[in-house]
Amino acid sequence: MTEHHHHPHDEQCIELFSRLSEFIDGELDQPLRFLVEQHLAECKACRVCLTTLERTIDLCRHSGQAPLPEALSQRLNRMIADLQKDPKSS
Amino acid sequence: MTGPQNFQKKSDSDKELVEAIQSGERGLFPDLVQRYERALYNFGIRMCGDPTDAEDLVQDTFLNVFKYLKSFRRETKFKNWLYRIAASVCIKKRRRSKFAPERELSLDQFLPLDEADVERVTPRWADAPLEQVLNDELEQQLQNGILKLPEKYRSVLVLRDIEGFSTEETAQILNLTPSNVKVRLHRARLYLRDHLKHYFKDD
Repeated sequence: MTEHHHHPHDEQCIELFSRLSEFIDGELDQPLRFLVEQHLAECKACRVCLTTLERTIDLCRHSGQAPLPEALSQRLNRMIADLQKDPKSS
Repeated sequence: MTGPQNFQKKSDSDKELVEAIQSGERGLFPDLVQRYERALYNFGIRMCGDPTDAEDLVQDTFLNVFKYLKSFRRETKFKNWLYRIAASVCIKKRRRSKFAPERELSLDQFLPLDEADVERVTPRWADAPLEQVLNDELEQQLQNGILKLPEKYRSVLVLRDIEGFSTEETAQILNLTPSNVKVRLHRARLYLRDHLKHYFKDD
């Protein structure tokens, strides 16, 4: 198969570029998904674009969580105690 | 096929606890707080950037939950309702701040300007195993990139790609249409990808 190199002026590349996230998220209908897959098989630039976008999403999904600060935990406990004492809040 | 609403109702792991509190067992409210305090704090950090603002966001969110839980009718999962409150607290807070002014991101700004800018080789940061790439410095870069996003894009990216909500759920939380969520998410991801590309350019 011949690789084509018309990016960034190729209309098909631009159309694909606007739908890449939906492609990654499995939100395209089957005919459109098939077109995207076909295009990706032929266009290296779009494959690289897809890979970098997928990696960006992966990094977000695997980013760590900060622990809960002790001061916040105590603040929430005080807030709950106050709320539960307050007859207006029942 | 199961519709999104049915799925949300079936998989609401907070249902029993919420119902118990709604029926008067207020002593169980701390259990609900404990279940989400850390997640909400991290949501606040992603959205506000500042730990003090994130702490305020957690407190204000739970205050509102306590106040309005009786009127929660379980038309959605409790978690979605909780994040809807948190997002609205956050938006109010952001309106009072000058940080990251609102602007539109257009798709065109992410297209390569000319042939020389088109990448035809996968860069190492996108190709290497994730554990070789992800470290504290990159986490900080990721956080910086997220904070530079205009708020309307940032909230969608954080809910979808960090908190793991679906397109439908994110739309419900932010009161947007699903297609609006998709458009904003794609632009936010492209923005973040460009931020990371810039960080890795000398790699």
